[in-house]
Amino acid sequence: MALIKLEDVSKLYGFGDATTLALDEVNLSINKNEFVAIMGPSGSGKSTLLNIMGLLDKPTHGTYKLQNRHVDRLRTAQAAKLRRDTIGFIFQSYNLLPRLTVLENVALPLAYKGIGQTRRLKYASSMLERVGMQNREYFYPSQLSGGQIQCAAIARALVNNPQIIIADEPTGNLDSAGSRLVMELLSEIHKMGNTIIFVTHNPELTRYATRVVYMHDGMIIHDEKTAVGEVAKTARDKMYSIAKKTVEDDLAGVSLLMNLVPEKDYETSKVPTKKKTKTRRRTSGGKNRKKRTR
Amino acid sequence: MSINVGHIRAAVVTMRANRWRSLLTMFGIVVGVASAIVIVSIAQGVKNSITGQVNAFSKNVITVGASSQDPTGLGLTSIPFVSTLTYQDAKAIAKIPGVQVSVPLEVLSGLPTGDKTLRHGIVFATTQNLPQVLNQTLAYGAFFNDQDSNAFSAVLGSNAAIGLFNDPIPLGYSFTWRNQQFVVDGVLNSFETTPFANDTLFNNAVFIPVGAADQMSLYNNPVYQILVKVKKAALLPAVAKKIKTTLLNSHGGQADFSVLLPSQIAGSSTSILNLMTELTLGIAIVSLFVGGVGIMNVMLVSVTERMHEIGIRKAIGASNRQILMQFLIESTTVSIVGCMIGIVLAVLAIFSLRAATNLAPAMQWPVFAAAAVVSILIGIIFGSVPAIRAARKEPIDALRND
Repeated sequence: MALIKLEDVSKLYGFGDATTLALDEVNLSINKNEFVAIMGPSGSGKSTLLNIMGLLDKPTHGTYKLQNRHVDRLRTAQAAKLRRDTIGFIFQSYNLLPRLTVLENVALPLAYKGIGQTRRLKYASSMLERVGMQNREYFYPSQLSGGQIQCAAIARALVNNPQIIIADEPTGNLDSAGSRLVMELLSEIHKMGNTIIFVTHNPELTRYATRVVYMHDGMIIHDEKTAVGEVAKTARDKMYSIAKKTVEDDLAGVSLLMNLVPEKDYETSKVPTKKKTKTRRRTSGGKNRKKRTR
Repeated sequence: MSINVGHIRAAVVTMRANRWRSLLTMFGIVVGVASAIVIVSIAQGVKNSITGQVNAFSKNVITVGASSQDPTGLGLTSIPFVSTLTYQDAKAIAKIPGVQVSVPLEVLSGLPTGDKTLRHGIVFATTQNLPQVLNQTLAYGAFFNDQDSNAFSAVLGSNAAIGLFNDPIPLGYSFTWRNQQFVVDGVLNSFETTPFANDTLFNNAVFIPVGAADQMSLYNNPVYQILVKVKKAALLPAVAKKIKTTLLNSHGGQADFSVLLPSQIAGSSTSILNLMTELTLGIAIVSLFVGGVGIMNVMLVSVTERMHEIGIRKAIGASNRQILMQFLIESTTVSIVGCMIGIVLAVLAIFSLRAATNLAPAMQWPVFAAAAVVSILIGIIFGSVPAIRAARKEPIDALRND
C-alpha cells in the first residue's frame, strides 16, 4: 500500500492571463521506506510537488492520499496536526529560528505537540547526539557552519519521529563536505525505516536514492528505480549533457581547446603556466568521470 | 514550561532587542495607566479629607444657606450678594425641638487694620456657640461669651492673627474696623485646609459678636449661613424638615434658602471634584486607546517582519491557534510591561505629591488591579487583529516571505 498517492494533481498559481500551471496532472505513488530523489530544471514544479506532499500547500485539482487517507481538502488545524506528527521538513536555507538555541530549535516541534519542557529538551538532546551535534546544543544558529545548521535542522525534522522526511534541496547551500555529511545522515535515517523525499539538482546525490523522479514543466517525465550507491542512469546521462556555465567550466573548456593546439604553438603561448594547470585539471576531471561511470 | 511561557520569554527577548520601539509602543499605556491612577488617587485623597472635615467640624450640623439657587449647578457654595436670612431666623430655628444650638454667620464688609491691614480676610458676626458647632478649640484666649454679645471684642482665625499683627499671640491687642476699635479675646486653632473646601476661609476670618455688628449697621447684616447643631444624628432629617417649614413660614412661602445635611455638604464639595476626575479619566482612557492602537500598529509590523518565522513554525507543526496565542501573548506582555511602568511612575508621582503638596492622594489597590485588567484587555483586543492575521496566513505563503 502506497504511503503517498497523488492522482491527477494539478496546481495553478495566479488567475486570468497570469495563470501559471506549476503541476500538470501529476500521478505519483511513494511506498514506505523509499528514498526518492526529485530532479528537474528550475521551475519544473519540484518544490510545488514537495509542498503539496508536505501539506504546506493544497492542490488545485486532483486527489492526495497520505497513509490511505484523503488529505487534499483537510482543514488547517487537521493539516497542522498531520504535518506535525507525520512529516519532517528540511529546507535549503535551514530555517532554524535565529533567536533560539540549537537545542530549543530542535525541541520546538515537541512544544507544539504539548510535551513538557524537561522531556522535550531531553529528547531534543538525544536527537542532536544522533546527528553528532550534542556539543553544539547551546549554540545559536549564527555561530554554526552551514553543514552544522543543516544537521540541526535534520535533528528538528526527526524529533517528532515522523514517517516521512521531506527535504527541499538540503545540500543546496552546502560545500561538498557538508553535502556529504547531510546525505550520509539522511541515508542513515532511511535505513532506520523512514521514507525520504528530497529535491536536488546534483546528479551525484542520486547515489543515496532508491528511486529518482524527473520533472519538467510541471509533469513527471521519467521515474526510475536505482541501486543505492550508483548514480541513476538518466541522471548520469543528463549530468554530462548539461551545458556548463560556471567559471570553472569555462576554464576547463579553455584547457580542452589548448590540448588540441599543437605542442609547439602551445609552448610559444604567453601563458605557459596555465597550460600545466589546466591540463592537470582536465586529467583529474577525466579520472573523476571514470570513477563516476564505474 | 509550557509553550505559552516560552512565548512570554520570547516576547521579553523581543522587547529587549527592540528597546526603543517597545518603549514607544507602550508609551500610551504608561501615560494612561499612570494618569488614571494618580487622578483617582488625588480625587480619593481630597474626598477623604473633605469627609474627614465634615465629620470633625460639622457632625450633626445642618447648614442653612442664604440661597437655594446654585448658579453653577455643581453644588458649589459661595457667599451670596443678597441674603434673606436674618438673625431672627437663627433664633427661630433654635426653638425647634431637637436643636441644640443655632449659630448665625453674618458677612460684613470692610478691612480690619491692626499693625497691618488684613487684605484677604473676612469679618463674620456670630454668637458664642460657634466653637461648639464647629467642634473647634482655641489656641489662645477665649471665645466671646453671652455677656460679651454687645462688646467690641473679637476672635481671630489663625491666619488672620498673623495677617493683622506682628505678634503671633495678639491677645489684648486692638484693631480698627469701620472706625471702631475691637480687642482680641482669642485666636482659634487652625482649620485643616483642604483644596476646594470653603472651611479654609475660617482661618482668614475675624469673628465679632452679632450685637456689636448690629450696633454699627443701619440695616440688618446679611446672614451667610446658619449652622444648626442637632442633639442626635437620628434627628437630622426631621429637624431639617422642620427648619424648612419654619423658614418658609417666616419668608412668606418663598424658598430662598437651602437646608443641607452633613452628607449633602460633603457631596456638594466633591461633585466638582468628581466631574474633574471623570474628565481626566476620560483623557486617560483616550491615552490608553491610543496606546492600544500603537500596540496594534507595532504588532502588525512585527507580524509582517516575522512572516517567514510564522511559516517555519507552521511547517514544523504549529496550529493557527498556537500562532494566534503567540502573538496575543506578545501584545499582552507589551501592554502589561507598560502597565507596570505606569504603576511605578504613578506611585512615584503620588509620593512626590504627598511630600510637596497638601493634596494627600490616597492609593487604592482596586485602582491598581483595574489598571492591570484594563492593560491586559487592551493587549488582547488590540493584539487580536495582528495575531489573527498571522494565524490565518497559509504556511506556504508565509514561508515564501523572506
